[in-house]
Parts: sequence; structure tokens; C-alpha cells
Amino acid sequence: MSSLTDPIKEGLARGWKVLGGAHAALPTSITCDVAIIGSGAGAGITAELLTKAGLKVVIIEEGQLKSSSDFKQREPEAYASLYQEAAGRQTKDKGITILQGRSVGGTTTVNWTSSFRTPAATLKFWQEQFGLTDYNPDALAPFFQQAEQRLNIAPWQTPPNENNELLRRGAAKLGIKAEVIPRNVKGCYNLGSCGMGCPTNAKQSMLVTTIPFALDGGATLLVETRAEKFEISNGRIQSLSCIAVKPNAAPVKTAGPPTQIIAKHYVLAGGSINSPALLMRSGAPDPHKRLGTRTFLHPVAITTAIMANNVSAWDGAPQSIYSDHFLNTQAIDGPIGFKLEVAPLHPVFFGANLPGFGEKQAQLFRQYPHANVMLALMRDGFHDQALGGKVELRGNGSPLLDYPLTDYLMDGARRSMLAMAEIQFEAGAKTVYPGHEMGTGTTNWADTKAAINALPMKPLLTKIGSAHVMGGCGLSADDKRGVTRPDGVHWQLENLSIHDGSIFPTSIGANPQLSIYGNVNRLAQGLAKRLTGKEVALA
Amino acid sequence: MSHYGPPHLQRRTFLKLGVASAVVLAVAGGAVALMQPGLQNGKLTEGSRLIFSRAGQTILAGTLPAEAGPNQIAINSLLDRIDTFLSGTPDHVQAELSMLLGLLGTVAGRRGVVGLSSGWADASVADITEAFQAMRSSSVSLRVQAYQGLHDIVCASYFSGQESWAVLGYPGPKTL
Repeated sequence: MSSLTDPIKEGLARGWKVLGGAHAALPTSITCDVAIIGSGAGAGITAELLTKAGLKVVIIEEGQLKSSSDFKQREPEAYASLYQEAAGRQTKDKGITILQGRSVGGTTTVNWTSSFRTPAATLKFWQEQFGLTDYNPDALAPFFQQAEQRLNIAPWQTPPNENNELLRRGAAKLGIKAEVIPRNVKGCYNLGSCGMGCPTNAKQSMLVTTIPFALDGGATLLVETRAEKFEISNGRIQSLSCIAVKPNAAPVKTAGPPTQIIAKHYVLAGGSINSPALLMRSGAPDPHKRLGTRTFLHPVAITTAIMANNVSAWDGAPQSIYSDHFLNTQAIDGPIGFKLEVAPLHPVFFGANLPGFGEKQAQLFRQYPHANVMLALMRDGFHDQALGGKVELRGNGSPLLDYPLTDYLMDGARRSMLAMAEIQFEAGAKTVYPGHEMGTGTTNWADTKAAINALPMKPLLTKIGSAHVMGGCGLSADDKRGVTRPDGVHWQLENLSIHDGSIFPTSIGANPQLSIYGNVNRLAQGLAKRLTGKEVALA
Repeated sequence: MSHYGPPHLQRRTFLKLGVASAVVLAVAGGAVALMQPGLQNGKLTEGSRLIFSRAGQTILAGTLPAEAGPNQIAINSLLDRIDTFLSGTPDHVQAELSMLLGLLGTVAGRRGVVGLSSGWADASVADITEAFQAMRSSSVSLRVQAYQGLHDIVCASYFSGQESWAVLGYPGPKTL
């Protein structure tokens, strides 16, 4: 029996105002100062700051409230209860499977803790292409610093597990620089279970930091409640209609009428794909047809290596080593750059992501303790062949991302597979399998290079995933190039701010959580000042 | 949620989705009139259980126990876990899978999409293996999507079960 505490259960016992699901019925209407849609990275930071400024805040989360005592380090339960579409969200042509969180804390509850500031090269592109002159490293530095302090973000001090170490070892032999990843953890047990919810509360996700702060400060949290539609007139949001949903997102048929939330100001932070979809369902003004466009995924290509030595890729901090060599050694608008990392491997993730089936794959399954899966996160949004996807609505109003995998991106998949396979062989791989339906295992670098070069790099055949969703409500200095003003307010709706990864006008080129924390920290401080006249800070 | 459009549009969207070839369009179009939904009340129908049972025996050949008795127990357990998995998926995923399984349950769908001439019950694992290999690298998107859908659901559901851990050598979660 664990002696670990559960800060959520303790907070509920203290009298936190949590409604929805099994907690308490939703009322027909709620009036507040600010309604925040979502409870992930952008929502959490905003909730803490606005509560600190003395505002009456309501947070609306579609997913469930789960906490450390629910987190059993088991994939099926975690995927079903903590991820969008049971971890099976896919793009329209099914070419990309997207891992995106869906519970209190959003993706921060299930991410692998990698924390990077927005790269200078990305900000430079935003300044040049979108006129975002205030988005520069110096201006943002204090806001990143506060977020890093609040969430205990620092380079990981424990030696990397073998799964990560082999990236450093293989890269070093090729003269490629690889570095230690900063993580948002405090007293980490080094379990490797971050993707299933942290059972020890070491991960400083929104679930255990900013959301509890806001609830202790009097905020109300609605769970299993979907923000369905804004009522809009005279350039303002008049109210927000919310409905009760089941754990699989289907509406609760026996629920009463929708809950109307009337707020002075609304903050949309449902994450990319979901945030634009709410605006689309609401018929929000979009005079320049920007809404839902430029939605980015960091499309990920993979190679699987069977190493000579034991890797136990499930064991230990999931991501602790990365390489930006292939981002920094070429022009940002040239052939697509990619960031190299590794994936933690648990049975479902490993079993479902290995291409192939039958007897041959059965042999591969038995080599699981020796397996390493390397990831190349492609930096989309910086080239006219990488314009990202477009959010659409299905007949029932749910969002669907149409993301074309262009030849330019698929060239990146090939180049990155070559880079990863070479590193894996240098690190001691016996066999490398490209993430491709027609890929077969090869046992040396020369054969692998020839095999990867011969593969048809087509969508579906090439296995592409994503764990980062960005854009769709992009920032811009004028209303023609984006949806959101540089201060976070919607270009056409004066009492709506957008505070999540959807405001990024390109992908980040790094795991995006700290980019959301830092950028939203600045936006939310500005919003608090405008609404209350008060100066507040995260840390 | 009727104000976003009638439910039958979902079906049309699915059929448009992967139908990249006139051949499959013709096959699928002919089959639609005959097909039964592959899910009822969110669970696999008998016909769908047969498809997943044969797909499971093929995809997990060499991984599942070889002896008939234990093999059947493993398959039954897999089918139950697929039902559990489906219960967590949103309505549109269930609708789409119901459509796909319904299509694969018709003779025309089985032949046109899977490329399997024998019925699901009669086809050997070798027959289905050959058909799946052709689906994997097909130039027709619907065929690749159908294969990947079956593959991913079978593998994710199988490795959801603790009994799969011995094959992998996974020790299970650490005790806290």
C-alpha cells in the first residue's frame, strides 16, 4: 500500500468547487469574471494568475478529473481516460496518429516532461513573417524564468537510462552534439510512467500545481463538461453554452439543458484542434479565413533498433537526451529540420507501433527488452510545403484535422530515418527497422541506408505520429495573417483571449509545453492587469 | 446534436474517405446495400467477432499460444478487450469501425477490400496473411487504412493484457 498523498483528493476534501461527472450536477447558469476553456498548459497558467489577481474564475474541462491514486502505470486505463479519442486521434486520411491529453491538466498530465524554451530561430521567423516584434528571447526571458521556477524545470541530473544514453553515445561517435533535457519534476522516482499520469506527483503538471492553486483560491472547476458553443453578437461573446459529456466524449443524453456561462472575459485554452473547433462551431468571425489553418504537428518519423545490450526502454525518465543537430545545421526554411529524441516503450505503445505482423513480428516482440525507438520531430510551418493542416468539423461538431503529408515532409521522413538508423548502429544496434509498412530489418548501416533510400515515402505506408499540436489560431501583428493579436486577444472578439498552443504561428521546433507556459505567462499577466489593474506574477 | 448535420453524413464521409479507386468504390457501393453494422450497442457483433478472431490469429501468429485450447482462450480474451477498448472511443470512431466491419463482413467487401476469396471462417491463416500483406502496401488508401485499423486494434488490445507481458519480457509496473 502506497504512502503517497493525493493532492486532488485532499483538495476535494477541503471543499474545492468541482462540478460535473460524479462530483455534482451542472447548474443551468454560472456567472463569473473569467471563464477558461481547458485545464492544460495555457489554461493552468492563466487560472493561477487570474485567481491571484482576485478574479472569479471558472475552468471548463471536457475530460475527467483523475489524480495520482488513479494512476496505476497501466496503459489501457490511461489511454482511455487521459487522452483525446482514447489515444487514437488521427488526421483525416489516417496518415498521422496524434497523442493529445484529455483530462484535468490536459496534455501536461501525460507528457514526458521535456521542457524547452521557444528556440530563438523560431521567434526570429515569427518576427519576420508575422510581425511579432515583442516575441524575442530577451523580452520573453523573465516569463520563461518564472515558469521554470514555478514548475521546477531544470536539466535532468540523474544519469540517463540506456534508452536515452544510446542516443548520446551513437551521436557522439558521429560528431553530433546531444544534450540533457530539462524536465519539470520535483523528487522524481525515475519510474518512466509519465505518459500514464505521474503516480508520485513528481511531475509538476498543471494537475498538481496551478489548478490546485486556483481551486484553493476559490475558482470553480467543471469536469466532463464540453464547451460547446459561444453566443456571439456585437463583436463580443455574450455567453458560453456547455454540455455534460461521458468519458468517451459523447453527450450525456439524460443531462438537463446546457449550462450557460456568462463571463466578463473568456479565455480559450482547449489546445490546438479543439480551440479552433469551438470557434468554428460558434460561427466566430473569420474574415481572412485563418481559423483552423496552419495547424502543426511536428510529424514524427521513427526507426526501431534491436540493440546488442539490454535497453529496458520502459524504465527510467522517458526523455533525458536530445539532439538539435539536424535543426541547427541547415536553413530554417530549407529542407525540413528535425529534433531527435527517444520514446519510452510500454507494451501497448511498442506492440501497436511496430510495423508488420505474424511470425516475423513475433520474433521482434520477444526482443522488446533490447528495443529502442528513436523519434525525429519534424519542424513544420517554415516552408511553403509545410503549411500544416486545417481543422474541419464532423457532422456532430467534433473536430477533424486534415493534414497533408507533402513530398517535402516525406523527404524529411527519409532523411531523418537515415540519420536515426546511423546513430543506432553507432550505438550498438544489431538490427534496425524503419517505421514503414515495407521496411524490413537490416543488420548493418550500408544495407539500411540502401533500404531506406529505396522505400516509397508515402502517407500511410510511412508510419507518422505526433505528440505536439500547435497553431490554428495563430498570432499575428495584423488581422490579415492570423486569428490572435500579439496580446492574446482574438482579432475580432474583444472579450476573448486565446492562451494555448493554438496561437503559435508555426510549430515550435521543440516539445512545446514550456513555450506555452512562458508565452501564456506573459499574456495572462497582461490580461490580469487590464481586467484588475493589478500586477501578478507566477513566481 | 442535429444542428451540425444528420448522422448519415458520417457514413458518407467514411465512404469518401479512403475510396481512392473506382474499383473499390464500385465494390463498396454494391456492398453497402447488403451490409449490417459491425457494432451493436458499441460492442462487436458475432460477425465482427469472427473477423477480429481471424485477424487476431493472423496478426499475432507466433505470439499467441499454438495449442488450440489456449489459443481460443487468448482470442476470447482479446475480443473482450477490444470491446473494452471500443467503449472508450468517441462515437465517430465507433461509427466508422462499425461501417468498416460491416463492409468487411460482406462478400464483396471481403473480396474487394481484403482480397480474401474464402469466407472469414474458412480462410486459413496463410490465406489471410497473404491478403493482409497485399493490403499493407496497396495503392488504394482504404485497403491500407482497413489493414492498419485491424492491426492497431488487435495489437493495442492484446498488449493491454497482462498475459502478454511474458512474451515481451516486460516485468510490469514498479511497485510504489
